[in-house]
Amino acid sequence: MRAAYRVEIRKLLRSRVAFVATALLGLLLPAMGLGFYTVAVSGGTGSLADKAAALLTGEGWVGYLGQVDQIAAVALFLGAGVVVAWVFGREHSDRTFPSLFALPVGRGTIAGAKFVVLIVWMVVLSVLIAVVALILGVVAGVAPWDTGVVLSQLSRLVVISLGAAVLSLTMGWVASIGRGYLSAIGTMSVIVALSQIAVLFGTGGWFPFAVPGLMAVAGMEGIPTLTPIQLVLVPGLAAASMWLTVGWWRRVEVV
Amino acid sequence: MTAPIEATRLTRSFGAEFAVDGIDLEVGTGEIHAIVGLNGAGKTTLMRLLLGMLHPDSGKARLLGSDTQDATSAVWREVGHLIETPFAYPELTVRDNVMASALLHSVPPSSIGAAVDRVIEQFELGHWAKRRARVLSLGNRQRLGLASALVHEPSVLILDEPANALDPAGVVFIRDLLRQYAGEGAAVFVSSHHLDQLARVAHSITVMHRGRQVGMLDPGGIDLEQSFFEIVHQFDMAIREAQS
Repeated sequence: MRAAYRVEIRKLLRSRVAFVATALLGLLLPAMGLGFYTVAVSGGTGSLADKAAALLTGEGWVGYLGQVDQIAAVALFLGAGVVVAWVFGREHSDRTFPSLFALPVGRGTIAGAKFVVLIVWMVVLSVLIAVVALILGVVAGVAPWDTGVVLSQLSRLVVISLGAAVLSLTMGWVASIGRGYLSAIGTMSVIVALSQIAVLFGTGGWFPFAVPGLMAVAGMEGIPTLTPIQLVLVPGLAAASMWLTVGWWRRVEVV
Repeated sequence: MTAPIEATRLTRSFGAEFAVDGIDLEVGTGEIHAIVGLNGAGKTTLMRLLLGMLHPDSGKARLLGSDTQDATSAVWREVGHLIETPFAYPELTVRDNVMASALLHSVPPSSIGAAVDRVIEQFELGHWAKRRARVLSLGNRQRLGLASALVHEPSVLILDEPANALDPAGVVFIRDLLRQYAGEGAAVFVSSHHLDQLARVAHSITVMHRGRQVGMLDPGGIDLEQSFFEIVHQFDMAIREAQS
């Protein structure tokens, strides 16, 4: 089992896809949040300023990190989803899949190792986003320091980022049964569109992919309060997709 | 004593078409058994069945006496294979690729370094050891795939067109390597399009056509190519007669 982890860690560390996703999400995402917040509180007029102001969930650290939350809720699903899709789909696209048969290490173990390595990467990425957001907020002087508020908002950011990221684990299953990462990339676009529709119809809480977005705007006017069951559906869906994927890898044939 | 590689009435179809149709085969210890056939004859499907990559519709595929559908890690530890695409992750260096294969083939951690060094030297990959696999030529990717298939010193070898993309020196090297493995007691099952290559190395040659075992070639025969086409032609004629 350790062998599968060592191999998957090395593959992820050497992958350009994971490197670019980590850099873009870890650095650019908090910077975008700061940019939107700055525009929102600038008092300027224009469509961007109006939209940014409409998405403000509060003032100071709450407002700034709220902007980062909202971007993270979508960007983490898409960005992490590309990495998840690549980790599983590349075995087909690069035609390395047959090499994973007839080994002492089972394919279910290999698929499980892929998920564990991805989850660890998602945790590290979510914490990195929070740390970068903190540094940018301090450097930009968004508001006077308040330890309680900052820590609470950063924890919320980590939870939303991680929630959005673990939902993208479902793409491991899509990339596996689709035998390539393109199927998962296409599916993610459809899911983002469906999330918007579910929120518009007021049923977003029951559509797990919309839950991180709803968490990011919780407390705003017209946003429903999420129930514990709706929150549990997020890790539940991720766990179910991992179970399905590992089962598929155990049973699948090379065709 | 059970042969290390064994197929018994092995059958697999895709839709209405039989890719492998009732194949019986044994490859004994220290034997090099080659399989030849035209494109689409079913050679790769047969190898995939032997390696558990496909489930048979009927019949059995056994390696070291175990059904490949439920073989244990101990059995797979003894198997080395290269089917179609080499074990070569483009983002990993040559050395990292071989090391990954060694890990997945359960080479003990204390022996991995030496095992990797051995095959990198054996396959003359030292110059590229620190380069990523994506920059390798086709021939060197094939060498990497073979190095990865052999890093754990398997006693059962299943190789689909192992000389693919290799230069003449590489082909000679592969022939010597197969002889060496068989000489040390490995069972080797190999496919190739090049009859001359096989004649120089195989102990027995099976001709496969339309998913069936249609004859054997004598590796010491004078004109293997002519014999091959005669066997294939006779089979096609017999099929036509049966259908008319």
